[in-house]
Amino acid sequence: MSAQRTALTNPSVASAPRLTRAAEHWIGSFVAMACPCEVLIEECTSEPTALAIVHSVARCAWSIEQRYSRYRNDNIIHRINTANGAPTEVDDESANLLDFAARLTDLSEGAFDVTSGVLRKVWIFDGGDRIPTADQIDGLRNLIGWDKVVWRRPVLKMKPQMQIDLGGIGKEYAVDRAVEIANTLVPGVSCLINFGGDIAVRTPRSDGKPWVVGIESIERPNEPYRSVALRSGAIATSGDSRRFLLKDGKRYSHVLDARTGRPVPDAPHSVTVQANTCIEAGTFSTLALLHGIEAEPFLRDQGVRFWLQ
Amino acid sequence: MRLQLIDDTTMNDERNNPKNIGAALTAASCALLGTAVAAKAEAQELHRWFFDTALLYYGESDDRVQDLSATIGATRDFGDERSLGLTLTADTLTGASASGAIALDRPQTFTSPSGNAFYTTAAGEVPLDDTFLDTRFALNVNWSQPLGRLYNVSGGVGFSTEYDYTHLGVNLGLSRDFDKRNTTLSVGLAYSQDDIDPVGGAPLPLSQMLDVGIQSNKLSTDSKDVIDLLFGVTQVLGRSTVMRVNYSYSQSSGYLNDPYKILSVVDPVTGDTITRVPTVGLSGPDGVYLYESRPDSRAKQSLFSEVKHSFAGPVLHVSYRFMTDDWSIDSHTLETRFRWPVGSSNFIEPQLRFYTQSEAEFYRSSLVSGRALPEFASADFRLGQFDATTIGIKFGHRTAGGGEWSTRLEYYQQSGDVPEEQIIGNQSGREQYPDLSAVILQFAYRFKLQ
Repeated sequence: MSAQRTALTNPSVASAPRLTRAAEHWIGSFVAMACPCEVLIEECTSEPTALAIVHSVARCAWSIEQRYSRYRNDNIIHRINTANGAPTEVDDESANLLDFAARLTDLSEGAFDVTSGVLRKVWIFDGGDRIPTADQIDGLRNLIGWDKVVWRRPVLKMKPQMQIDLGGIGKEYAVDRAVEIANTLVPGVSCLINFGGDIAVRTPRSDGKPWVVGIESIERPNEPYRSVALRSGAIATSGDSRRFLLKDGKRYSHVLDARTGRPVPDAPHSVTVQANTCIEAGTFSTLALLHGIEAEPFLRDQGVRFWLQ
Repeated sequence: MRLQLIDDTTMNDERNNPKNIGAALTAASCALLGTAVAAKAEAQELHRWFFDTALLYYGESDDRVQDLSATIGATRDFGDERSLGLTLTADTLTGASASGAIALDRPQTFTSPSGNAFYTTAAGEVPLDDTFLDTRFALNVNWSQPLGRLYNVSGGVGFSTEYDYTHLGVNLGLSRDFDKRNTTLSVGLAYSQDDIDPVGGAPLPLSQMLDVGIQSNKLSTDSKDVIDLLFGVTQVLGRSTVMRVNYSYSQSSGYLNDPYKILSVVDPVTGDTITRVPTVGLSGPDGVYLYESRPDSRAKQSLFSEVKHSFAGPVLHVSYRFMTDDWSIDSHTLETRFRWPVGSSNFIEPQLRFYTQSEAEFYRSSLVSGRALPEFASADFRLGQFDATTIGIKFGHRTAGGGEWSTRLEYYQQSGDVPEEQIIGNQSGREQYPDLSAVILQFAYRFKLQ
């Protein structure tokens, strides 16, 4: 749900990662989860090592995309979504993600829910003005709600036609996983992982300098609004800069409250949060959007550093 | 975009905040990622330079004062809320200003402030001293940083110089946040020392304007010092409203006269200025004029309150100031501005301001011949009773690079009165307190560099 995250309508074409040299670091780049991904590696590393890091990180991203994209028919999400009321046993990693998602539903008092993806059948956020009718939304309400799911790890059972979508946490999870892989591969070498604007660094650079991270301006895409010097930790952004509906002068954010099946009114366009891990930063920013006009007080209560646009 | 920096104290408070989900989320993340210890987030905003530049024209009607001023402000952000600010201003003042002498049905001749020339005012006109020309340069340096976890401290020095005036000032400020930064209390202290070296010397108060070339009533230089104290409260009232209340006390002492202002000495019956004949062989005033005399101390108090409210886009700004001093001048200023966004990168901001003040207790439009001289007297219109209205409009545009340029146009209209009991004889048929109007045009450009 981050600003930079485009809808996963077209599975990424996995072309080989590229490695280029910048003034003080290596830049590895590839495409995964329908967004540009980068790995910055500090310059003390040799070219073959840098290339190996980039390949491992890309494999990690593609693998998570393959396992959790809801647009594929060969993964656990497809099996769950097509079980038609039958129980599905899931692997450990998927179970961890489902546990985490369930916790987020708790923490957001039901506003965040991985079963709310079915709303996309009626809410089509293409910048147009097609607002679904109340009947259309209410027709889907009985398919939404984690409380309608029976989750006894490792077995998940839900009503026929209910669907699960881990898109709301998948990219941040991939960033944290990738950071860990790089850290295991070359301990002590600073690598910055950037998957479409969701960013994490585990090890600070050995030259003592920070990584410079630009937060994209919502009014002027492709221009940094703020530059942040990041030594370690993570930054994630959620927003609706490119995904919204506009009708009668009213802007409908793509962030849907699972309890109402409707966009949250008066949500900020973009929320960027800094936290220790990318999944935490992403959760704070997503939950902030779900707080609508209360986004800022919510973030203040969390005691995190944040930027609202 | 707003940036929020939360200090450690606030974060400690958060642990007991039921709305804080941080601990629960960290636990859930650790379970998901299988890592017990994640890297601690360490980041800061990058150093930046911010520039604020402006060009301002102020022009009074009837060729009176014209001022052209250029300002360059630069702020260097060192991160962690530490910043250094520098402001450089240059301005040029030309034109004429009212001398304080009353209008007569005959032309009047005056010695110019320099004491080595004279000038003449036509019959029926309020006398203006048109030898007015000055260039001023000012430099201010300011540093601001957090002090401990709850306080912010700032300090600065300022210096300005012009032909007849030198100003040196220092200031200190301290603020403390309460209630998660919803309330800020601040105190400020400023001290300045100004040296005045008037053209032709500082005249002795209530001494007579003498013939060209005679300087016996003028001293060389003088000085004043000013202490300002300020107490302020800023309170966030909900998500879109902020209120600020300031009380300030200002104590000036020393030479507070305007060395170029005079009073006409008039006949108690006709109200016309007493005539005078210059010494044979010399040029000089053809009437009796005395240099003004103000008390050597002035204590001002003012109360300022301001409310800003955002209507999800448009922003309304209303402020009111009450000022009172021991010269018995009371003034009220009411101002409102409304910033209206136009598209995503422009705004229009109409502005309206009303001002009214009562006259100083020693304000006299003229002095009466034959009566005892008061200890203090001034005919400076700025110490008289007047009302002023300003209407303005500002247009602003945000540029692609994150800068902003704006243009502001204001029209100022002032009209004042001389107290009825001070008008004597023929004076009633003449203009006592001329109206003043002025146009203000400003171009400003703000930008930042990394």
